[in-house]
Amino acid sequence: MSAQLRIVIAEDAAIMRDGLTQTLTRRGHDVVAAVADAVSLRQAVDAHLPDVAIIDVRMPPTHTDEGLRAAQSIHADHPEVGVLVFSQYIETQSAAELFAGAPAGVGYLLKDRVADVSDFIEAISRVAHGGTVLDPEVVRHLLRASRQADSLAMLTPREREVLSLIAQGRSNTAIADALVISPRVVEKHVASIFAKLGLAPSDNDNRRVIAAIKYLES
Amino acid sequence: MIRTAGRRTSSLADSTYAGTVPEVLTWLRRHPWQADGLLALLLVVISSGQWQGHYRVGIAVVSVLLAATVVPRRRYPVAAFAVAIVIGAIQVAVGVQPAGGSSIPDLGLPASPSLQPTMADTAILILLYTVAAYRPRRISLIGLAACLAGSAAAIARWAPAHGAHPGGPLFAAAAGLGGAALTAWVLGDSVAYRYRRAYYASLEERAARLEAERDAQARIAQAAERARELQERRARVIDESAARLRRIERDLHDGAQVRLAALAMMLGEIKESLDAATPTAEGGADASVGGGAGSGAAQGVDESARTRMLVAAAHRNAKETVAELRDLARGIHPPVLDRGLGAALAALAETSLVPVGLEVSIAERPSPAIEAMAYFCAAELLANVAKHSGAGRATVSVREHDGRILMTVTDDGSGGAHLAPDGGLAGLLERVQTVDGRLSIDSPSGGPTAIAIELPGRA
Repeated sequence: MSAQLRIVIAEDAAIMRDGLTQTLTRRGHDVVAAVADAVSLRQAVDAHLPDVAIIDVRMPPTHTDEGLRAAQSIHADHPEVGVLVFSQYIETQSAAELFAGAPAGVGYLLKDRVADVSDFIEAISRVAHGGTVLDPEVVRHLLRASRQADSLAMLTPREREVLSLIAQGRSNTAIADALVISPRVVEKHVASIFAKLGLAPSDNDNRRVIAAIKYLES
Repeated sequence: MIRTAGRRTSSLADSTYAGTVPEVLTWLRRHPWQADGLLALLLVVISSGQWQGHYRVGIAVVSVLLAATVVPRRRYPVAAFAVAIVIGAIQVAVGVQPAGGSSIPDLGLPASPSLQPTMADTAILILLYTVAAYRPRRISLIGLAACLAGSAAAIARWAPAHGAHPGGPLFAAAAGLGGAALTAWVLGDSVAYRYRRAYYASLEERAARLEAERDAQARIAQAAERARELQERRARVIDESAARLRRIERDLHDGAQVRLAALAMMLGEIKESLDAATPTAEGGADASVGGGAGSGAAQGVDESARTRMLVAAAHRNAKETVAELRDLARGIHPPVLDRGLGAALAALAETSLVPVGLEVSIAERPSPAIEAMAYFCAAELLANVAKHSGAGRATVSVREHDGRILMTVTDDGSGGAHLAPDGGLAGLLERVQTVDGRLSIDSPSGGPTAIAIELPGRA
C-alpha cells in the first residue's frame, strides 16, 4: 500500500485540489497532474497514463455529472487506469452506472471521506491496484433498497455487517480488523452469507464484491 | 249557497268577457290582412244602403272598389291612399252634380250618377289615418292637404246643386268633411308619434345597453390582460426562485462545503500526524513511570494528549458539519434534479424507508421549477407513507397528459389521509396551487391511499 502511486486529480475547487495534492505528495505519491475540468482530465490521463485518477463528479461547464462521464470513458479506454469518483452526494444510480460492466479498478466515495486521510489514501491505493471501493453509504442504500429483502432477512446482523464490508471492497483481513474479530471467524461468516444468498464462493476479492453488488442491486 | 251560486255566475260572465274580447283583438292584431278585409267588408255593408235606383249596380261597383283599397293599407299605405283619392277625385269631378254659380269651373264632363259619393268614401279617411300612422309626417301632410282640397272641391260643386246657401249648412258640411279628415290625420299622427317616441326610446336604450356592454367588455379585457400579466409575473418569480435555490446549492457546493471538506482533511492530517508523533496514551504513561521523568515531562504529555483530544473533536465536528451541510444543501435543491425528474425520483425512492416502485414516463422535461415541485411533493408524500400509513409498499407514477404532469403516489397502508389545516397535505396543496396545480386525495379508512398531483409543464 505504501508503494508510490502516479496520480491525476480532477477537481474544480482549488482548495480541495491543492489540499489533495499536498496531502498525497506528503505521503510519498506522485501527483502528475491536477486539473479542473473533464477535458483537461482526459488529456492528462492520455498523456500520463497514471495508476489512478481521482475525479470529482461535478465539474465545469454544467456542474452535473461531467466527472462521472469522464470516469466511464477513461475506464473503458484505459482499463489499467484506476478511477476513483468522489462526490458531494451519493447517488446509487450513478454508482450503478459506474459499476456496470467490469468494476475492477473503480471506486465511488463520498467527498467527506477525505477527512479520514489514511482510509482515503488506502482506498486510492486499492483502486490503483485494480480493487473496488464502494462508499458505505451506497451499500447502505443498496441493502435497504434491495428487492432481495426477504433473503437479506435470513442474514444475522453480523452477517449483514460483513456483507456491507464485502460490497465496499474490503478483504477478509480488512473486515477482521474493522469488526475486531479473527480472520477465521470472518471466513466462516463469508461462507455462510454466500451459502444463504446462493452466491458462488470466491477467493478473489473483486469477484466477491461484484457478486455482492449484483446481488444487492437486483 | 245562493251567494256562492251568484258569485259563480258573475265570475263566469267576467271570465267570458275577459277571455273573448282580448282574444279577438289579439287575433286581429296577428292577422292584419284578415282584419283589414273585415274593415273593407264593413265599409261595403254600410254603403250598401245607398245602392238604389237606376244606377245601383254602378254605385255598388264603385263602393266595393273604394272599400277594397283599405285591404292592402298596411303594406302599401301611400299607394292605397293614392288610388282612393283618385277615385274620390273622379267622383267629385263627374259624380257630383254641378250647380250654376259655383266657384268651381264647370268641367263640362258628362254627369255620371254611378260615381256619386257613398259611405264607402270613408275609406279615404281610413287611409289618411293609415298614412299618418305609418309614414313620415311630410307625406301624411300632403295627404291631409289632398283630403281638405277634395272636401272643399266637393262642397263647392255639391252645395249649390242642393240650393245650399253660404252659412249654416254649408259651414256644417265643410266642418264635417274637413274635420273628419283632420281628425283622421291627427289620430294617425298621434299613433305615429307614440311609435316614434317608443322607437327613439328603444334606440336610446339600445345605445345605452351597447355602451354598457362595451364598458363591461373593456373591463373584462382589462382584467384578462391583468390576469395574464400577473400569471406571467408569477411564472417568472417561480422560475427565478427555483433558479436562485439552485444557485445557492451550487454556491454551497463550490464554497462552504468544499472548504469544510478541505478543513476536515487538514484536521485529519493533523490528527494522524499527532497520533504518529506522540506515543499512545498508555505508552506515555508507561514512559513517565518507567523513566522516572520529572513533572515537566508529564505535563508535556498531558498537554499533547489534550491537543490530540481537541484536534480529534475538531475533526469529528468538521465531519459532522460537512454531513449536516450536505443535508441542508440537498434540501434546498437536490443536485440529482439536474439529471431529470426520473433520476431524482429514483434517488428519492432509494432513500425511502418503505420500498417504492417507480414508474416515470414523460417525453419532455418540465421546467426546473416544476421538476423541483414534483420532487418535493413526492418526498413529502413518501415521508408521510413511511410515517403514518404503515404501508409495506408504495408506488410513484409520473406521466404526461396534455402538457401537464400527473404524479400519483399510492400505498397499501391503512388509509384515512385527509387535508388537515396546517397539515402536510394542506402545505402541499398550497404549494401546487401556486402554479395552478391540483391535488386530490383518495384514502378510504383501511386503505389503500392514492394521492394525485397535477402540475403544469411550466409555471
